[in-house]
Amino acid sequence: MGLSQALNASLSGLRATQAGLALVASNIANAETPGYTRKTLIQSSATTGLIGTGVRVEGVNREIDEYVQRQLRVENSGASYASTRAEFYQRLQSLLGTPGSDSALETVLSNFTSALQTLSTSPDSYSARTGVLSAAQALTQTLNSTSNGIQALRADAEAGLSDAANAANDAMQHIADINRQLGGMSPNDAAAAALKDQRDSYIDQLSQLMDIRVVDSGNNQVSVFTTSGVQLAGVTAARFSFQPLGTLTPNSLYDSDPSKSGVGTLMLATANGGGVDLIASNAIRSGRIAGLIEMRDQTLPQAQSQLDAIAAAMASSLSDKTTAGTAATSGAQSGFDVDLSGILPGNTFKVSYTDTLTNTQRSITFVRVDDPSALPLKDSGDPNNRVVGVNFSAGMTSVQNQVQAALGGYFAVSNPSGNTLRILDDGAGGSIDIGSVTATKTMTGLSAGSSELPFFVDGPDFYSGAITGQGSQAVGFAARVSVNSALLADPSKLVAYQAGTAAGDSARPDFLYQQLTSSSLRFAPSTGIGTAASPFQGTIGSFLSQVISSQGEAASAADRLSDGQNVVLNALQQRFNDGAGVKIDQEMANLLNLQNAYAANARVLSAVKEMFDLLSKI
Amino acid sequence: MSVIGVGAKSQSMVQSLVDMRAQLDALQQQLSSGKKATTYAGMGVSRGLGVGLRSQLASLGSYDQTITMVGLRLNVAQTALTRVSAIGQTVKSAALDAGTLNADGKTVAQETARTSLDELLDLLNTKAGDRSIFGGRATDRPAVETADHILNGDGVRAGLSQLIDERRQADLGADGLGRLVIPPAAAGTVSIAEDAAGSPFGFKLASVSSTLSGATVTGPSGSPPSASVSLASNPTAGQTVSFVFNQPDGTTQSLTLTATNDSPPGPNQFTIGATPDDTAASLQDALKTGVGYSARTTLSAASAMEAADNFFNVDTTHPPLRVAGPPFASATALTAGTAADTVTWYTGEMADDPARSSASARIDDSIVVNYGVRANEDGIRNLVKNVALFATVSNDATDPESTARYTALATRTSAALAVPPGTQKVDDILSDLASAQGALGAATNRHQQTRSTVSGMLDTIENVSPEEVGVQILALQTRLQASLQTTALLYQTSLVNYL
Repeated sequence: MGLSQALNASLSGLRATQAGLALVASNIANAETPGYTRKTLIQSSATTGLIGTGVRVEGVNREIDEYVQRQLRVENSGASYASTRAEFYQRLQSLLGTPGSDSALETVLSNFTSALQTLSTSPDSYSARTGVLSAAQALTQTLNSTSNGIQALRADAEAGLSDAANAANDAMQHIADINRQLGGMSPNDAAAAALKDQRDSYIDQLSQLMDIRVVDSGNNQVSVFTTSGVQLAGVTAARFSFQPLGTLTPNSLYDSDPSKSGVGTLMLATANGGGVDLIASNAIRSGRIAGLIEMRDQTLPQAQSQLDAIAAAMASSLSDKTTAGTAATSGAQSGFDVDLSGILPGNTFKVSYTDTLTNTQRSITFVRVDDPSALPLKDSGDPNNRVVGVNFSAGMTSVQNQVQAALGGYFAVSNPSGNTLRILDDGAGGSIDIGSVTATKTMTGLSAGSSELPFFVDGPDFYSGAITGQGSQAVGFAARVSVNSALLADPSKLVAYQAGTAAGDSARPDFLYQQLTSSSLRFAPSTGIGTAASPFQGTIGSFLSQVISSQGEAASAADRLSDGQNVVLNALQQRFNDGAGVKIDQEMANLLNLQNAYAANARVLSAVKEMFDLLSKI
Repeated sequence: MSVIGVGAKSQSMVQSLVDMRAQLDALQQQLSSGKKATTYAGMGVSRGLGVGLRSQLASLGSYDQTITMVGLRLNVAQTALTRVSAIGQTVKSAALDAGTLNADGKTVAQETARTSLDELLDLLNTKAGDRSIFGGRATDRPAVETADHILNGDGVRAGLSQLIDERRQADLGADGLGRLVIPPAAAGTVSIAEDAAGSPFGFKLASVSSTLSGATVTGPSGSPPSASVSLASNPTAGQTVSFVFNQPDGTTQSLTLTATNDSPPGPNQFTIGATPDDTAASLQDALKTGVGYSARTTLSAASAMEAADNFFNVDTTHPPLRVAGPPFASATALTAGTAADTVTWYTGEMADDPARSSASARIDDSIVVNYGVRANEDGIRNLVKNVALFATVSNDATDPESTARYTALATRTSAALAVPPGTQKVDDILSDLASAQGALGAATNRHQQTRSTVSGMLDTIENVSPEEVGVQILALQTRLQASLQTTALLYQTSLVNYL
């Protein structure tokens, strides 16, 4: 106990005040620095025995509410996921055009039907004919460009995934590096606090990209996992790899089998050199990456399939002709002959019959599928309306056998001549009665005597909805659909359905107009409109209106979700900032305190000095 | 999302100011464009309905265009057909007047008919815009040939005049007896026979009747049909024998010969001679003279009528018919004229379906009006046929029989132009077109009502009310100003400023 002790105590006070002052200065300087948390000084009184011998600076404390921080990270992923979706939906909306504008799909479609209506009134008018063709071209061009726009969006999502993978790698690497640096430091080290701020900032970046779980493993260390439990960063960092494809077509779709996949996949390289496909294992459920994957693999392909369905409906309804089979009998058996010449891959013939035991109407639709790798076709899911693929490449005998095998023993299938197939029942009073056999074929000639014509074609090929091992011809048809060039070369074929058709004969224009505006078509549930049990049935116009309606609703829902997420995120951010942010007024008040404390300590020091002076004068 | 700055406390405040500014921009855009949004997403839940309504408006627009176009065609067609009908009336009444033949062998009425024919054919070639309206579906070419080609042919192909002439030769025969054979009387019997079985030409024996005492009539029977009158004893004066002949155009001509004691006998009389054989010889002579006169007058007119019918009655199953020849005088059959040797007056579309359905227009979702007309429809064809026939037949002014021949023709023409009930008239076509016109008018009214309803509904879906947006802008402006002022105030009231 002595004056020197008081001197030391006041010196420690000066040191502590200086440290406090430095902290205040640093807090104020970093008030607007992202990721910076307010630091406070941890100090304790130094005692010797029962007597205080000064003040000791223990370290620096980060003012942080860890509960809010955890919640913030979850919402961060959610908000980032929602805003990614909203952003892509918004861009998809702009592809569909301004409602009612000249370039909107609905407008070009109704321009086309109006042009057909004009042609139907004046079939002989050359300008009405070219009017139909130019309206049809505008329609196909709109479908093409909208399809290309959708694929460009998918390519953007692909590039976005690549960027996200790199950003995630960067963040994980930094987290691991900082974890290692922090390994040897004390928790209250001022340098450690700064490093933790940095590490939190990287974790926040990662949480924007994907949903993560952060576990504090003590000793300044944190481990980052995916919500499904795969470790991303600890002392070492995992690595994502992603091989993006520059251009995407409607046919390049994701498949968990890498040899079939047409797009890049997100692989996580584990420490032992193995890899986990994060998309196949559905490991990422939120954040920007999940949003991009959803857009690339679900939302945008579905939008594409809606356009494809419109294009396919336009092409098929104008080109496909259904003819009924002719009645045939053999002894007690009765049935139908159906002519299968000219049937293209994808064309169908349908056997409708009554099961007399249960009095049930059934039908089997046979589809020409010449690619053996596409056979057998996927089950239609409806036992009363089966769909069966038939390979025509080996000739009619083979077709006969395939049809016989699919129909079963109650039917007798034969090939009386040429391409005719005869399908007979098991006689009156038997187990089945055949009601009808019809064949639907795509017309390939412009003036073959029927109103149907291949108005829209698939590049150089006719569109018949062929199914091959690579998929259906319908996939991406909207990107390829064009007006038949033979028709463009000879617009008179819009009227002349056979040689010698009079110039004013409106039979074909009437047919085209009717098909587009009144004929009720069935649309596949893969378009997202309608279900397998009750598929959407309606005109092309009503389907388009459904598409636009559902796309618009999805986009505005995505927008609302994103807005809602941002509100939640902002509120949390505010709360977090209230605890962790630098408040200038508070720092100023601290500054005054520290000034006072410094002055007081200095006063003590000078008092001790005076006392030492007094002592030395004695 | 930017990097979250935990220290960046001013960010959220700035963000809300930016949001308000963006909202203000959006409202300003709504106010200037009048539309709720530029994307379907911004249209609200009725966006699907909006698509449907816009397409309904578009189809109403094209229906209205169709109605205007079809209305124009109907007007043109009706004007032309009204005039066609009037021409028929004019020619019909002119034909009734007894005319005198001019030097060129035609009456004034015939000259008028000739100019009427030109006008008629011109009317039938009427176009609405670029479209022939009387040719059914063949709208890209004239519906009928020119009057000159129809009447006189074009050098290679024969016209109506030539067909009439050929038919006249075939009907009258080389000896001018209308293809009847009247051999000299033998054993008190006068016989008369057609020259060939099944020939369509000349007189056909319909019946023979007699009040002659002591006469036996047999026939007409056999193939070719023949009839005879046998006189067992002489008749008394005033007793008659009548022959009735069918003519090619379906009319009948009767020849009644009266017994007289005068010698020589007057027209259509025969002298009762000393013996029945002498009487029969006189009867044969009178019969021959009477048949010859009828052949040159009524049969000629009937022949011309039938020739015109053969020429004009063309459709998918009927080519123009002409006499198989030469030689024509002994021909016994008709043959189909080909496109190479005979003019086909109607050049439009020939089809079996009703003419009206050869042009149809959809004027509403479920209403189709049929308004096609073909110039070879019965009503128009009959009119053109008779006017052309009347205009083309000429008679030698110096021939004393010309007047009778002309009268026979004029009576027939006039009767044919007064269309018998049950056959189509031009007026029937007109009334069909008028009912189509009526349907157009009704559809137009309906469309107007639908359009105003649909537009009103669409307005509520896609447009904004300027007043509402104005008020919103005002409210937002107040809020934005207040926020800006408060923000400024907040930054001023920092402890920093008071140290």
